[in-house]
Amino acid sequence: MPAPTRHDEAWRYSDIAALEAAWPLPAPESIIVPAGGHYARTIVQDTGSIHQIEIAIGKDATAAIHVLSIGGEYGRVELNVTLHEGADFKLGAVQIAGGTQTLEIITTVTHAEPKATSSQIVRSVLAGTATGTYLGKVAVARDAQLTDSAQSVKAMLLDRSATANAKPELEICADDVKCAHGCAIGELDPMGLFYLEARGLSPADAKKLMLQAFVAGVFEGAADEEMLIETALKKLGELV
Amino acid sequence: MSDDMDIKDKAAWDAAERVADYEHGWSSDIETDFAPKGLTEDTVRFISAKKNEPEWMLEWRLKAFASWKMMTPPDWAKLNVPPIDYQDAYYYAEPKAKPKLGSLDEVDPEILRIYEKLGIPIAEQKLLAGVEGGEDGGLPQRRVAVDAVFDSVSVATTFRAELERAGVIFRSISEAIKEYPELVKKWLGKIVPMHDNYFATLNCAVFSDGTFVYIPEGVRCPMELSTYFRINAENTGQFERTLIIADKGSYVSYLEGCTAPMRDENQLHAAVVELVALDDAEIKYSTVQNWYPGDAEGKGGIYNFVTKRALCQGRNSKVSWTQVETGSAVTWKYPSCVLNGENSVGEFYSVAVTNNYQQADTGTKMIHNGKGSRSTIVSKGISAGHSNNTYRGLVRVAPNAEGVRNFTQCDSLLLGSLSGAHTVPYIEVRNPSAQIEHEATTSKISDDQMFYAMARGLNAEEAVTLIVNGFAKEVLQQLPMEFAVEAQKLLGISLEGSVG
Amino acid sequence: MLQITKLHANVADKPILKGLTLSLNAGEIHAIMGPNGAGKSTLGYVLSGRPGYEVTEGSVTFNGQDLLALEPHERAAAGLFLGFQYPVEIPGVSNVRFLREALNAQRKSRGEAPLSGAEFLKVAREQATALGMDMDMLKRPVNVGFSGGEKKRNEMVQMGIINPALAILDETDSGLDIDALRIVGDGINRIMRKPDKAVLLITHYQRLLDYVKPDFVHVLADGRITRTGGPELALELERDGYKELAA
Repeated sequence: MPAPTRHDEAWRYSDIAALEAAWPLPAPESIIVPAGGHYARTIVQDTGSIHQIEIAIGKDATAAIHVLSIGGEYGRVELNVTLHEGADFKLGAVQIAGGTQTLEIITTVTHAEPKATSSQIVRSVLAGTATGTYLGKVAVARDAQLTDSAQSVKAMLLDRSATANAKPELEICADDVKCAHGCAIGELDPMGLFYLEARGLSPADAKKLMLQAFVAGVFEGAADEEMLIETALKKLGELV
Repeated sequence: MSDDMDIKDKAAWDAAERVADYEHGWSSDIETDFAPKGLTEDTVRFISAKKNEPEWMLEWRLKAFASWKMMTPPDWAKLNVPPIDYQDAYYYAEPKAKPKLGSLDEVDPEILRIYEKLGIPIAEQKLLAGVEGGEDGGLPQRRVAVDAVFDSVSVATTFRAELERAGVIFRSISEAIKEYPELVKKWLGKIVPMHDNYFATLNCAVFSDGTFVYIPEGVRCPMELSTYFRINAENTGQFERTLIIADKGSYVSYLEGCTAPMRDENQLHAAVVELVALDDAEIKYSTVQNWYPGDAEGKGGIYNFVTKRALCQGRNSKVSWTQVETGSAVTWKYPSCVLNGENSVGEFYSVAVTNNYQQADTGTKMIHNGKGSRSTIVSKGISAGHSNNTYRGLVRVAPNAEGVRNFTQCDSLLLGSLSGAHTVPYIEVRNPSAQIEHEATTSKISDDQMFYAMARGLNAEEAVTLIVNGFAKEVLQQLPMEFAVEAQKLLGISLEGSVG
Repeated sequence: MLQITKLHANVADKPILKGLTLSLNAGEIHAIMGPNGAGKSTLGYVLSGRPGYEVTEGSVTFNGQDLLALEPHERAAAGLFLGFQYPVEIPGVSNVRFLREALNAQRKSRGEAPLSGAEFLKVAREQATALGMDMDMLKRPVNVGFSGGEKKRNEMVQMGIINPALAILDETDSGLDIDALRIVGDGINRIMRKPDKAVLLITHYQRLLDYVKPDFVHVLADGRITRTGGPELALELERDGYKELAA
């Protein structure tokens, strides 16, 4: 199979040259969470690698994934999640990129059966000429009634030539569902920064504090929450 | 205000009570002159010759046709369209009893009856019927100039004289090509390039007629301009082309209505609409699209592949698209704004209803190149029956566009558990000062809402119509009054059979 | 302490301050009153260095230092505090964390040792209690979900913790009911009425001046000080309105 091109929806914003060098990719990692089970995982992408993971979450089982993607010229974390009846999926993901980095998080969350819930929080901080992409599709199958799904997507651009792409997609084939997504892209609130500076914080510290607030909360509940926050802060410190 | 609403509500109720699958589902016995079936270079030459076009126009068409043969139809939309046999259609059909402009006596009475059946608002019908005398007194205060395009030909344009006194040019595009070649050449294909997409290129080759509007500098068009499009002949594709130029500081409100009779075969409609707004100009473009949607089993119906784009070229220019899409078996349509001008504004307000086996993939693109440009997108999708309804939109901010604002709201309403509602927003931002917000929700009509409405005496269909009109209100409010009435009726009619 | 001389300032290329001269000494409380649009809030923002507020002429010295040459955070470290008319909401950042970072940043730039978490909490608790604010509110994100009155009270708690030499309070009385007004007024007196401190009260109404007695009252109209007097001038303004006096 040839490497994807920009015409492939799932790769439309990718670093194609880097991808071709890594092609062909190994088979995706496959995880099955048995009925009633619980699965938790933290993924730190700091070397410029491509992670492709398929997760099937059984009846009434739960899975919580935390992602921090910061490293390499091209990094991609791709999650393909299928939820069975009453299952729950939570994603808290942060990507922080500077220089000429291209980082992307791609999720496909399929509610295959009724009463499953999913919640995804994705935050991107982009500086330099970096590109940060989130492609997130939530699909609700026919008869997957009482689905409850939420996506919250925010990106912060620190420099003029940085790029944020987002595609929070819904594909819904059942009527008794609650699906919502919100997406916001912008810069740090200048009035907020001034308020912090007027209380004595230096411009860099004010920025860092605001950015930390921007990504804080995403890692809540992760077993290694402190490590994630510390690693994220260190990367933010390099960009500000 | 409340009177208006009462009238609107009453009209909506009257319409909802009518039991008709498709009100416009008749065809009229008008003798028609066809181009030979099929699509070859000769078809293109035939159309151009039929229109007595200048050489440059024919060359332009032939160039487009040559490119089109090399192109493939887009496949990225969430649509399931069987392959279209482009050789099995007529590309030009002209009513034989073609009326001359300006005089009612010369308008074929059959065509006038069609206007009536089309539900062209009474005020407009009077004006359309009274072309000459209609302008003297006794008229409603609100006047609308109408251009009616019947199959491939513009049959009547009203109010031409009065518009011309204001400097407004309102013509069929065929006439404009001959009378204002410089204006047409300057902008035709500049907003939607010839090779933009498969259907736009096809349109360039075979477009038959359409509307041309030019509003000169500083002129506020004294009345609303309107075009009614109708596909009447069997096996006929319609390829109209609209070009509206709003010069500096001008304003125009343009309304577009579409219908087609019931046919078992699918018919192709591939239009191109180009708008350009210069400094401080504003164009308000409203559409009520009610092409034949096919029957309850999904047989027949129009394939509606339309390319609509506006160039907000000037400072403070503004283009507002409002659309009510209830018809067509397949809709593929993304009215867009290229916001080049500093502080230019783009708006997209859409209600799309799909029922039975209809498929709609519609939305907008807001391309922000100008500093301080702003856009608003409000999309309301209603899916019933076995239909699929997709919002697809792009918001793009260029690196040099400082201070861009966009707000997008996409709401889907599902009626019944067999339909689909999809939202595919693309957001691409390259300037940190941009503020982009996107929100989407999906809901159904709750049992409580239904019960409440029915406890107040409405039957199930009336209750649905009422609730759906409420859901779509934010968009319907953007329409000029006459169209709002028509649109409310249509929402009810389109959803018939979708409950209980 | 503060010497403003012939200050001209533009906002979005529009002149707002047009030659304002004003002088504050330690131990003094000054009130600036004036009609809407006279430039009162602009003065507060210019003195604290808000981006977009451009000084075109004139000078400001603060304890002998050129105030206008300093960044906003350097002005804060130098002892200047702006009480915002509309305190900004900062989701995700707790009040306690924000204030501790701010205070320690200021202390650091003055060569003082940072306060430990426990030391800081002690100070914060004192100030919150004095201003009748729940400690829970201090742990919540800065101003998020606070009522108008709570935000103003939070500004005063911040002022108490930071303990500045000069406070510029921009319409601190707006949005307060009578009880809150008294609490805030008492707070200003307690924290700022000291021989080594000064206050510039920017206000539209004289009602705050019932609680905080000014030594001087100035009328600001069309970008400059048009009249200066004692506390009686505020009463006169309240009675006769600005129209009579501004001219």
